[in-house]
Amino acid sequence: MTRYSIFPVRRHPRFATSSTPLSIMLDLIVALLPTLGMATYFYGPRVLMLTLISIGSCVGFEWLYLHRSGRTWSATDLSAYVTGLLLALCLPPTAPYWAPILGGFFAIVVVKQFYGGLGKNFMNPALAARMLLCTFPMMMTTWAAPMNWLSLSPTLDIPVDVVSMATPMSYLHNGLLPPLTNAQMLLGQHSGSIGEMSALMLLLGGAYLLVRQVITPRIPVTFLGTVAILTYLFPQSGTPLEWMTAQLLSGGLLLGAIFMATDYVTSPTTPRGQAIYGICCGILTVLLRYFGSYPDGVGWAILTMNCAVWLLDRAGMPRRFGVHHFNRTREFFLAVGADFSKIRFQVPKTPRLPLKKGEMPGEQHLDKLRAIWKSFSVFACLLIATGLLLAFAHSMTDFTIRQHDQVEQAELLAEVMPTADIISEVPYRTPDASLVSAGYRDNTLIGYCITLNVNGFGGLINMTVGIDVDGTVTGIAVTDHSETLEMGTQALTQDYFESFIGRSGTIRTHGANSVDVVSGATVTSRAIADGVNKALSIVADMQEKGMGDYEYGEV
Amino acid sequence: MGRFYFGGIHPASKKGLTRRKPITDISPAPHIVVLPLIFDHATPAQPVVWEGEIVKLGQLLAREGDENSLPVHASVSGRVLAVEKRPHPWLGLAVMSIVIENDGKDTPFEYEICDFHTLSQEQLIQSIRQAGIVGMGGDPYPVHQRVLDARGRVDTLIINAVECEPYLTADHRLLLEQGKRIVRGARILGRVLGAKRTIIASSGDKLNGIERLERMLNKIVPLRPGEQAISVKTIRSCYPLGAEKLIVQSITGREVPSGGSAVDVHCTVFNVATAYAVGQALETGMPLTHRIVTVSGGAVTRPRNLRVPIGTPISDLLVCAGGLKSEPYLTLLGGPMTGMEITDLSVPLLKNIGGVICLGEWEKPPERHPTVCLQCGHCVAACPMNLSPVFIHRAFAENNTQRLASLYPQDCISCGCCDYTCPCHISLMNIMRLATEKLAEEGVVAP
Repeated sequence: MTRYSIFPVRRHPRFATSSTPLSIMLDLIVALLPTLGMATYFYGPRVLMLTLISIGSCVGFEWLYLHRSGRTWSATDLSAYVTGLLLALCLPPTAPYWAPILGGFFAIVVVKQFYGGLGKNFMNPALAARMLLCTFPMMMTTWAAPMNWLSLSPTLDIPVDVVSMATPMSYLHNGLLPPLTNAQMLLGQHSGSIGEMSALMLLLGGAYLLVRQVITPRIPVTFLGTVAILTYLFPQSGTPLEWMTAQLLSGGLLLGAIFMATDYVTSPTTPRGQAIYGICCGILTVLLRYFGSYPDGVGWAILTMNCAVWLLDRAGMPRRFGVHHFNRTREFFLAVGADFSKIRFQVPKTPRLPLKKGEMPGEQHLDKLRAIWKSFSVFACLLIATGLLLAFAHSMTDFTIRQHDQVEQAELLAEVMPTADIISEVPYRTPDASLVSAGYRDNTLIGYCITLNVNGFGGLINMTVGIDVDGTVTGIAVTDHSETLEMGTQALTQDYFESFIGRSGTIRTHGANSVDVVSGATVTSRAIADGVNKALSIVADMQEKGMGDYEYGEV
Repeated sequence: MGRFYFGGIHPASKKGLTRRKPITDISPAPHIVVLPLIFDHATPAQPVVWEGEIVKLGQLLAREGDENSLPVHASVSGRVLAVEKRPHPWLGLAVMSIVIENDGKDTPFEYEICDFHTLSQEQLIQSIRQAGIVGMGGDPYPVHQRVLDARGRVDTLIINAVECEPYLTADHRLLLEQGKRIVRGARILGRVLGAKRTIIASSGDKLNGIERLERMLNKIVPLRPGEQAISVKTIRSCYPLGAEKLIVQSITGREVPSGGSAVDVHCTVFNVATAYAVGQALETGMPLTHRIVTVSGGAVTRPRNLRVPIGTPISDLLVCAGGLKSEPYLTLLGGPMTGMEITDLSVPLLKNIGGVICLGEWEKPPERHPTVCLQCGHCVAACPMNLSPVFIHRAFAENNTQRLASLYPQDCISCGCCDYTCPCHISLMNIMRLATEKLAEEGVVAP
């Protein structure tokens, strides 16, 4: 059809929304203020101090980075302020003042500016910084009870300055309903991060953002809706409704769903992508809350989905106008039909070789096969030879490794029982010891070596204890541990082990028959004593019952 | 309400300025009218009058040049001042025009009135052509050409009374005051096209007009044999819903394929003012000489809806509306979303212009300083054609032709929703156009 239009090319419309990046960021700050105010009411001026430090460090690092890299810093770009505010809201009110500074550096420099600045980062800076700070578990899991104003000192002493209290999330993580009324949950009269205190204030902020059209309801509604449905369907205690309400109102869910997941830069741009994003965030949150080792999983869920935004944008690309779903489906089926119509049943054509005189039918095929087998047999021989070579080399090295192991083991046993000349494994089995060997001198049983694991400060300590038939410790050796250097290892010295030698009966860490703990390595010292006691009781048990069953107890 | 539809924007409608102002004749009447002989790149009309000749209202001034062009009629009675080159509102150059000095009497030229019910389809199409009717909603295509194109291929005729642009209320007032003639025109168009059904589509902000029209349909206007019943449908009031592709989708659920027109899905769309003009021309026998115009905007003293002879200088319209109370920062022909800016107020009003908007200094949108894209996705949500301007913007910046081709920027209807909604003030509409041009250069799409 001919176009009759002679209209000039249209230029941009003379109307435009009044929103600018500046107004959007201002709206976000305004929406977060009620939450901050409520937290200040509960915890006192320390909250404001943390927020100021956080915002200051974020803006400062942004200015510094842009200044150093020769770019201009714009005072009207409030995104660093918002990042700082959100980071502060993620912190517990007891956090030391260096936490927001470290977080601000990570958020602004590493997460945001390294990826190209505003609009280019793929992870939510505030959330990523919070997750970095999670590597200081003691700091991030000390929760103060509300209505006790915290002191302004840079670092807080936990038992003196802070009345600690479990968060609702820790109850929920253990499958229990928190002992709080809904009104308490809404107002935020419980412990938690600065920003996850008051659900009501967060909802107020969210409503403000929706009215100002800064965010669309797509992400918050799908996120919260998915969490609501899943928690309603799979309650762990209480009625489904109670469980669902507690899950929705506690933890960082509302803060995450309204302010973190809706971050423009790190959420999908297509409407359908946003819906999928919200649903996936909700599913991940519930999974992490139910099965994760951290009480709350909102942050991890959002960060994980941030990494999938590229995919979701493509998955959620809106259907092109004028191309119906129906048309696509029809095209697909037409193509499938065309493909199927190409399929024809064909009678297989067997090659018929002309028979020569004096030949049996099939002999020529056999000749052909023989030629193939000839060429294959060379290859097969090569394969087998290589395989054998490999197996041989492997068995040789394996043998050496075993031999080496045995030598090591023998040296170890000799160390803990220097008087024995033959040490051999005994068929005695116990769940506490991984290996029990008997030591002999001139064919006389003189003692046992017990190899066992005990729980230290940093993990399992693998130790071997030598005990003679009188029930006296002859030696201790530690083969494997993961204690902190300079701290726990103070209790793993030969000097300390020697204080055990010659003792018998249950060895305590204080009082009668005691070995003093090494100061600075209390847990490790106790673990060593524990291991020695276990070994002693195993030996005593063996003496009593022979090689029978064994139960752990005091000697 | 009609189908639910995602996308689109809701700019401040500002229709309240003129919504309740009835249509009045322009007063004082213009001293001169300027009637360009060219309305298209087609052959200009051939003048049949000369300087100094006395002409009557509706008298033929120029014959059609070829089958695509239309005749020109006098819109006032008076004396032909000149046949000379005069500035054109948007062609950007002076075109041959006939200038008539108004004698203020409006003596009508006597046309023979014949009963249009007795005319055949071909005769009706000829009458529409002789009345010089063009599309009055925006694109000035000749109606008879559109009818010939669509004839026999459509089953649905849609009369577009959506008028989604801010400020404009001319179509709303037409619905309220001239319902009878609109229905008459719609029936004639339906008959000519052989459409199975005729639907008058309007939006939710014109409910009183719709009510008036429905009452008219039920009681006053009787059906003649050979005429189809007309139904009225209301759709959501939302900015680009008056565009052809979108109104077809809203009313019938059919989606016009990419690069196609409404005829491809067996629909055709005419503006309500066009239907009114057809009805009037065939009832009275007079050609198209007047049209309804909204004169509005923050800089206009008394915004109003006027019935104006074609060819009246824009300045005369503003005089009738009480003049300007402040210096306008922008004078637009058409609505503020898609209208054209003019600087010379002496240009004539043409048949397809439904509004003259003078925006005051205080209505100026905030200064547009494009910043870095925040990836908010507002443009994707607003695009009525389901495009993704943000990705097109990115692919265009990266010069990635392959990706650009998979995003179909050529489907853009230039409604400007993405531009309107972008908080970062990136002129996305311009980028869509540049991207289409780039694809055409690379030979990916037909130019």
